[in-house]
Amino acid sequence: MNLLPTQQRGGPVVWSGIIAATCVLLFLLQQMLFLAVPFLLGIVLYYILQPPTQRLVRMGFSQNAATFMVGAVFLVLVTLAVLAVVYWKSSPATSWQEQLGIYLAGGLEFVRHTMVALEQQFPLLKQVSLADTVNQRMSEFTGDFIQSHLTDILVSVLEWLPSLLLAPFLTFFFLRDGLRFKKFLARAVPNAFFERTLCLLHEVDQTAHRYFQGLIRLTILDTAVLAFGLWVVGVSSPLVLGLIAALLAWVPYVGSIVGCMLVVMVASTDAPANPSVAYLAIGVFILVRLLDDFVFMPLTLGRSLHIHPLITVLMIFIGGSVAGVAGLMLVLPLLGVVMVIGETLGRLITDPRLRARHRNAIALRTRQASHDLT
Amino acid sequence: MFGLFKSPALSPRLLRLKESALFDSLTPLELKIIDRLMHERRYLADEIIFDEGEEGQALYLVMSGRVIISRQFGSGREIVAELSAGSFFGDLALLDNAPRNAQTRALDNCELAVFFRADFMGLMETDPVIGYKISLALARHVGRRLRDWMTGKPQLEAL
Repeated sequence: MNLLPTQQRGGPVVWSGIIAATCVLLFLLQQMLFLAVPFLLGIVLYYILQPPTQRLVRMGFSQNAATFMVGAVFLVLVTLAVLAVVYWKSSPATSWQEQLGIYLAGGLEFVRHTMVALEQQFPLLKQVSLADTVNQRMSEFTGDFIQSHLTDILVSVLEWLPSLLLAPFLTFFFLRDGLRFKKFLARAVPNAFFERTLCLLHEVDQTAHRYFQGLIRLTILDTAVLAFGLWVVGVSSPLVLGLIAALLAWVPYVGSIVGCMLVVMVASTDAPANPSVAYLAIGVFILVRLLDDFVFMPLTLGRSLHIHPLITVLMIFIGGSVAGVAGLMLVLPLLGVVMVIGETLGRLITDPRLRARHRNAIALRTRQASHDLT
Repeated sequence: MFGLFKSPALSPRLLRLKESALFDSLTPLELKIIDRLMHERRYLADEIIFDEGEEGQALYLVMSGRVIISRQFGSGREIVAELSAGSFFGDLALLDNAPRNAQTRALDNCELAVFFRADFMGLMETDPVIGYKISLALARHVGRRLRDWMTGKPQLEAL
């Protein structure tokens, strides 16, 4: 349900302002990524934990008690899940580094096989020695790039951990003080603009709510369908692979490519002598991505933001060029929120009656404050 | 031991909410839930609360002071009603966002509690029991006005 008063879309000036504000915010977010990522995770957790907290409040618990209880249960569940993953294979035959190496080698072997097969099929490719060139490039990449950059990548991931620990703290305060914060913000609004600003706050909350809940639903759907497809094809650990690929798909384009590479690596390692398994896995992956783009996404995220598809695609490209991978990830929710704020502010500022009422209220306040002054 | 089953004492603010016809069937716990959703606003004497023709988004409950409701009549204004503490107005805005059919202005410095339609709609989904109690009170209120209109009594606070 849309509660914004009189749904008139903003004009070109308002929309230029919305796009410019989104770009500026993306640029600032990129500068403070260490804060933006835990903040985003905190919001996702907030929207997951808000319904059970509200239920407890309705049962008669205080807001504090409900937040503590839901937070504690969530922490216990996460701890149990982590312990289950850690002790799932108590004594693995190979370490994770070795496993990574095996999967990487399997993936490279698959690419080599594919190149040789292509050369056999198309003699022109043999003339330009495609397989040799690709082999050489990949050896350079695996030999130099990974050796020199893997440590840096791991160190930067480790550097992120402390800031990620902020996420549960933020979630706790969002849950405990979210409503109070909304009232606090509303109190700062002059009487003349109050009703419309309440609509704005509600619509921003609803936009974010719909987006993040849509994202969670999309991830669950993607995981289930991809896991089923990979299980049918015969790839090992289909559920884990499906979940990782679905989480990677949060980053538009780049995430899907990395997810596909992951699936190919595992599939080609599982059946090195039978490349058809990897081809089938690629087919399943592409099919799921198509389903995701044309069925799941419109059902979950598409409905949530009400943004024109052309603007969506353009903004994804702009987001990527302004703030890299973080920009790709954040541009749509940010655009959704800025769009609601921009369109409503445009309407508030351009309403002469509301401005006149506000001026009148200031004059009344001044008169009342100075009535006994000479 | 039986204290466990006793209803918690109501604060003066909750008592004032309870005095309103809209919330008089709510339990103390339900009143607390409603109170958390309501916004407090203070208006100065002669300040406009909302205009005739403006889209309605919220219901207002008078906590203290008085408000006056008036309608455009020819070139002047016709006074429709004067409301004091405990009364509510703008109730039709809880049902849809149709334009307000009268202007409301503060007669004295007054304090109002504001119940936003989106919160009411959310409540209907998450807390159907509270939702139906308020809806029933609202339906009775609208029904009473309809009966008054049919018997030719003057129409009050129909916003």
